[in-house]
Amino acid sequence: MLNDKITVTKKHLEAAEVVSEKLQELIQPKFILAIGGEVGSGKSTLSYAIAQKIKKQGISSKIIDLDDFYKIPPKERKAWRRHHGIESVGPDEYDWDKINRVADDFTHDRESTMPCVDLITDEVDSLKTCFEGIDVLIINGLYATKLQQAHLKIFIELTYDETKEAQIFSEKEEMTAFRKQILEREHQMVQSLKHNIDLFFDFDATLDKYHL
Amino acid sequence: MLGDVLLIAEKHQKAGEVIVEKILSIRKPKMIVAISGESGSGKSELAHVIAKSLRKHGIMAKPLHIDNYYRIHPLERTEWRKQHGIQNVVGPNEYDWDTFLRNISEFRAGAFSTGPCVDLVTEQIDQLTTDYSGIDMLIIDGLYAIKTPDIDLRVFIELTYHETKKAQVVRGKEPQNEYRMQVLEKEHQEVQALKPLADLLVGMDYEVRPASPQPKL
Repeated sequence: MLNDKITVTKKHLEAAEVVSEKLQELIQPKFILAIGGEVGSGKSTLSYAIAQKIKKQGISSKIIDLDDFYKIPPKERKAWRRHHGIESVGPDEYDWDKINRVADDFTHDRESTMPCVDLITDEVDSLKTCFEGIDVLIINGLYATKLQQAHLKIFIELTYDETKEAQIFSEKEEMTAFRKQILEREHQMVQSLKHNIDLFFDFDATLDKYHL
Repeated sequence: MLGDVLLIAEKHQKAGEVIVEKILSIRKPKMIVAISGESGSGKSELAHVIAKSLRKHGIMAKPLHIDNYYRIHPLERTEWRKQHGIQNVVGPNEYDWDTFLRNISEFRAGAFSTGPCVDLVTEQIDQLTTDYSGIDMLIIDGLYAIKTPDIDLRVFIELTYHETKKAQVVRGKEPQNEYRMQVLEKEHQEVQALKPLADLLVGMDYEVRPASPQPKL
């Protein structure tokens, strides 16, 4: 993702601290960390904070944003969703074959080509990267924890009502009635993925970590 | 550039609006705007807000950061500069202008373009391919961006590293030490030498003014 705006705050740094400790415990070569959670809950920001934190410990990581892997490009998505109805909103909107291929390229130290959305132009660029020497792949996105290959799955709590303000603040998307419906739908889909999670964070209640 | 943290403040928004007005007044197809200024002066922030604001006017603008085009890999740069002497090598020649100019001409031609894209998290250089057919405008930012030939509007931010030291620390982009200070001083000299090329100046308080005052009659 190009030109994403992130604001790292204390809660992100504290959460990153917890994750990096957990990571030290579990680390193995070519580790995949999945960060799921609601829209605007701070997935990208937490990814960034974790990456910077573990970098200081000599662990190199690459951040992949699931939103780069939508089947329908950003400029056409609204019309596509309206046409196909609210039920079309969900994990199936993503190109999981491509996501799995990139995860596979990472695991095998290969060169990999993936889509990369520029949030200013809303155009989909293409990014070629080499995964050789990268220790950890951090995949973040609404449904990132669906990824079978992930060694550690993190979920950021916060219902979409609580993130409304953050959403407006991040200016990523404008708020309309249809947008609200989409958020409600995404909220339901995301909540249905709350099984098989290793670590939960609730950013609203300062730092509340617990296992299921 | 991937993993860059921008600290966008109200001053960037305000200056951005003034510059956007200017851009709209001289608008032409496949226009290129260049923003120069020292490290931490807010080039990327300004490029970001300008591109975003232009979108509201129906103009698709893409920011392009010249820092992606360093010849020497990020992880080797400090060593390389020390070895060759900061005084000798820090300057415009540290950049791969051939590749940069090729990418710019691909933008003008509305073609597919592949160029370097630094990931500040991994400190690796990825390759980014962009389809420029739908892009109307390029906002290039970099220390020496306004040196680029055939630019339609050149913006120069006057803030020097002396004033932005604090911003640099907050941003945590680069370590602060003696070596870094020497680099900043050399860059300062090189960047300030480009000031006469500017069409618009962004002052110490981010106020925007034309570079050459209207001649008195």
